[in-house]
Amino acid sequence: MAIYSVGRRRVIVALLLTLVLLLTLDLRGNVVIERFRDGFATAMSPVESATDVVTTPAARTWNGVTRYDDLERENQALQDELDRLIGTQASYRLAVEEAAELKALLSLQALAGIPTEVAKVVGASSNNLDQVIEIDKGSLSGFKVGMPVVNQAGLIGKITDVTLNTSKVMLITDSRYAVPVRVQGAPEADLGPPDTRPSGRTNDELEDLVTTTLVTDVLATESSLPQNEAAPTPGQDGDADADDVPVGATPENPDAVDDPDALDPAVPADPDDPLAGSPTTDVTTTTTEPIVTTTAVVPDLPAKEFGALEGRGRGLIPQIRFLQDNPSLAVLQEGDLVVTAGGFDSLAPPDIPIGVVINRADRSGPGGPLLDVQPYADVTRLNFVRVVKYTPLSEVEQE
Amino acid sequence: MLAAIWQGPVIRLIPVGMILLALQRSLFVEITVAGVIVQVVLALAAAAGAAGGSERGATTGFVLGIMYDLVEGLPVGSTAIPMTIAGIVAGSLAIIVADPQWWLGMIFTTLGAAVGEVMVPVTRLFTGAADPFEPRLTLIVPVVAIAAGILSPLFIPLARWCLRIKRSEWVAPPRDAEI
Repeated sequence: MAIYSVGRRRVIVALLLTLVLLLTLDLRGNVVIERFRDGFATAMSPVESATDVVTTPAARTWNGVTRYDDLERENQALQDELDRLIGTQASYRLAVEEAAELKALLSLQALAGIPTEVAKVVGASSNNLDQVIEIDKGSLSGFKVGMPVVNQAGLIGKITDVTLNTSKVMLITDSRYAVPVRVQGAPEADLGPPDTRPSGRTNDELEDLVTTTLVTDVLATESSLPQNEAAPTPGQDGDADADDVPVGATPENPDAVDDPDALDPAVPADPDDPLAGSPTTDVTTTTTEPIVTTTAVVPDLPAKEFGALEGRGRGLIPQIRFLQDNPSLAVLQEGDLVVTAGGFDSLAPPDIPIGVVINRADRSGPGGPLLDVQPYADVTRLNFVRVVKYTPLSEVEQE
Repeated sequence: MLAAIWQGPVIRLIPVGMILLALQRSLFVEITVAGVIVQVVLALAAAAGAAGGSERGATTGFVLGIMYDLVEGLPVGSTAIPMTIAGIVAGSLAIIVADPQWWLGMIFTTLGAAVGEVMVPVTRLFTGAADPFEPRLTLIVPVVAIAAGILSPLFIPLARWCLRIKRSEWVAPPRDAEI
């Protein structure tokens, strides 16, 4: 029986060598492969749309059976959090407005003035290693590889692949992701990181939500991300930070925060801006659920240290490496805030909030401590994201 | 030449692969087992090996893997190599028996899928990934392999149809034949 004849062995070897050749060509960047990829993505588009329609009921049924308890717990937590936010938001409105004015006076560099665009998450990576999502806009919208992607909670990743109408976004939890960050001290009232995953809370934690003041109480009254491109907000064009507008409030209607409807995520603040609190439709379930985000802003706190935040894969929180304690300034500790550092070569502008240090592990030798960072953004629940059309300073100079 | 292409495996494999890819990216991203995404495309590549031998398994893995890489935006070959190897490993079943029972096909599909899934981070290592061996790999590999085995009674006939493999027909010798 000629199972492994020379001819068959040659076929197998030829196939493997062809794959190695293709891999090498693609890694070095090949126009033909890129065009073929675009063409295949276009061909797959109707198939995927049809399959999505057909399989949605099955996926909903599965989610209904397996995630009912989580949804119930999450709904309860969201209700608690909403009540808490309504109570606290009005109190902090004054402070937010003052902070906006101060920031405008100081001309702090942030996302103000950088064009952004909202995109919808249409898919996730289908393998078990990558932490990549797919969004519904691509090069036709001006997206480029490397652009940072945020939601209302903070940084969620960067664009790694762009086709005409879609883009791939590598999440901050992907083991290949790295971004320069700055660690800075937390305000004294900081009691811990904001939990944007209420479904993971225990009943005791849910009860605590009502009485405990988290860092979001101090910081949550404003978002550090631009909220509205169509209607200028104080902050765009550099006069003040768009992020400094309270959720639900606009320059035309600054009292919107007093209106419970304005704070209700189910009520859209701006129909063109899904990130502004409109009802969102899940890609696969299409059930309306409020965006689970915790808005935060980076207060003007002294920088403790600069380092590199690296993802570690699915289910693991990112870590910061390349740090050195600097006792003359401050010691790195739990509760420290983490924001993007910016810089000449960085793909992300400075001061985008990322998360909070929740654990510090000391290493022997010159490696310095490892910091575990709990991201503000819940990258497992993304519906709409905002792409920041930021070009690094190094590339601006080349242009 | 056109006739050869028309009668070859690719004509049936590509549309079937497109549908499976769409299912992989929609339904099976939602339906996870212990948080692990079942790899149906890899399962078909392994099943093709179990049904038709190493060569056909390698061809199927090659085609499906390239389609997977193209649609996922991965470097072309980074998943195709593991899938091709999965097909080759599952195809080693043909060494043991020419016309295997369903349970034997299931075992070799499981084995091929396991090797294929292990090869994914190995390939990533060669493409420059810093630390592709996640701790969850010990969970991912068994779940993906067992799922492929469970799907094999469905996928082996599907692979036979795609690759135009006909079952062996055993003919009894004539009664008056001299032995």
